[in-house]
Amino acid sequence: MTAGVTLRGVGKTFAAGIEAVAPTDLTIAPGSFVSLVGPSGCGKSTLLRMIAGLAAPTIGTVERTDDAVGFVFQSPTLMPWATALANCALPLRLAGNADDARATEALKRVGLGGFESVYPHALSGGMQMRVSIARAIVTAPRLLLMDEPFAALDEITRFRLNDDLLALWQQNRWTVVFVTHSIREAVFLSERVVVLAPRPGRIVADVKIDLPSIRAPAMRLSHAFTDQCARVNAALSAGEDAA
Amino acid sequence: MMRALPFAFGLLLLILWEAVVRLNDVPPYIMPGPLAILIALKDNAPDLLAGLAVTLEVTFAALILAVVTGVLIAVLLASSPAAERTFFPYAVFLQVTPIVTVAPFIIIWVSNIFAVLLILAWMAAIFPIISNTLLGLKSVDGNLRALFRLYGANRWQTLIRLSLPACLPYFLGGLRISGGLALIGTVVAEMVAGTSGTRSGLAGRLLEASYRLELATAMACFALLSASGLAIYALMQMLSRRLLRHWHESARLEN
Ligand SMILES: Nc1ncnc2c1ncn2[C@@H]1O[C@H](COP(=O)(O)OP(=O)(O)OP(=O)(O)O)[C@@H](O)[C@H]1O
Ligand SMILES: [Mg+2]
Repeated sequence: MTAGVTLRGVGKTFAAGIEAVAPTDLTIAPGSFVSLVGPSGCGKSTLLRMIAGLAAPTIGTVERTDDAVGFVFQSPTLMPWATALANCALPLRLAGNADDARATEALKRVGLGGFESVYPHALSGGMQMRVSIARAIVTAPRLLLMDEPFAALDEITRFRLNDDLLALWQQNRWTVVFVTHSIREAVFLSERVVVLAPRPGRIVADVKIDLPSIRAPAMRLSHAFTDQCARVNAALSAGEDAA
Repeated sequence: MMRALPFAFGLLLLILWEAVVRLNDVPPYIMPGPLAILIALKDNAPDLLAGLAVTLEVTFAALILAVVTGVLIAVLLASSPAAERTFFPYAVFLQVTPIVTVAPFIIIWVSNIFAVLLILAWMAAIFPIISNTLLGLKSVDGNLRALFRLYGANRWQTLIRLSLPACLPYFLGGLRISGGLALIGTVVAEMVAGTSGTRSGLAGRLLEASYRLELATAMACFALLSASGLAIYALMQMLSRRLLRHWHESARLEN
């Protein structure tokens, strides 16, 4: 089972009078992989937090068909006093589940087997981010919301984690909403790329990615892939010119 | 090498002190030399140590009481802005009031002398615990809070698993100050309360000795109290390092 999301006229204005997100309609089908791209400050994080229910919209309504949400923040957001395992197991423990087997498994999935008892300060930035991802998937959420999870990583690790994420998604068919500022990453991962423009944040294009549903790593070098990137890029530029 | 420097300096001062006292033939009821103080300490050891035990008993009882009540109060204040607005000024009031001025009332209202000392030392020690813990509770990372909300954590889980651990470094910073304040509060209280006899603390004995112009004994008391203050600070420092060594910058810089 997976969860869909429907936004109806959802907008957010902060106390300072900054309109971070203008009233927006967006429907995300259950089981789909959707990316949000746009320049810095265009409201991607704000939109994602509203989808998660972490921020209340100023106007409009957010509908989720399920409440099992996994969230990856833009920064690792780990508890520094807890080991990698304890951080990863947090959602389980909060639900009263003391069995750490699934957390150990989740750490393995993100390539951190053997780092269970290490504290966050002794992990590299990329490893911290991976603990954060492990924590988000440990509950097998039906809706996975990720805010630039790989932005701080080198390209090699990033490609590997992209492949892993796709594999996970194909296995479980969770709904994934993925924020990134990398066009290539968005195109490689997604079925659909939603392009935002700033001031106020709004959707300026909704690009369906015309690529085979099985994305092999080698696809990053294909012409078809480059074409799709060009389409998203054009939409981004058009959005910025309009702003 | 560098570690020895403060000790070498202290030793030099003591030698200088002893030399000045001896060369000028200063009478011991005006200014005893360090050797005379050492001898007074040795001669009155059982008596002074008994006094020290009484003082430290009050100090630690007050510190523990301050920790328990201080953390509880901080948690209550952090639970709602209205609570903080309403009650925090009174915590400040407690802090700025010189406890010497409250002592006479407490002495009239409370008959048990141990309780009197405890109350006064507690008043002296509690504020840094409240204010630091409160600051810590309010500084919890917003995204971590959001995460706990996302996973449906209740208030109790959020307190135990997030707020309290997150504010530990702040709390320990307050504890280090409060440890010293508890001792100072106890000593001041003993002096004002004018305790005497076998159950009196070290400050009481210091006063008695000075009334009798036994300055060497009085200074021996003083030395013991200072040493206790240092020991308490070191103890809190050690506790702090132990509790934070896995994760907090302050404890990691050292190793
Ligand atoms: N708590 C807040 N208070 C006031 N303004 C805010 C707050 N959070 C975000 N904003 C404003 O809302 C706008 C959108 O912010 P948001 O974090 O959603 O951008 P973003 O697209 O995620 O940017 P980035 O790619 O840099 O992460 C920004 O202009 C920012 O200044
Ligand atoms: Mg952002």
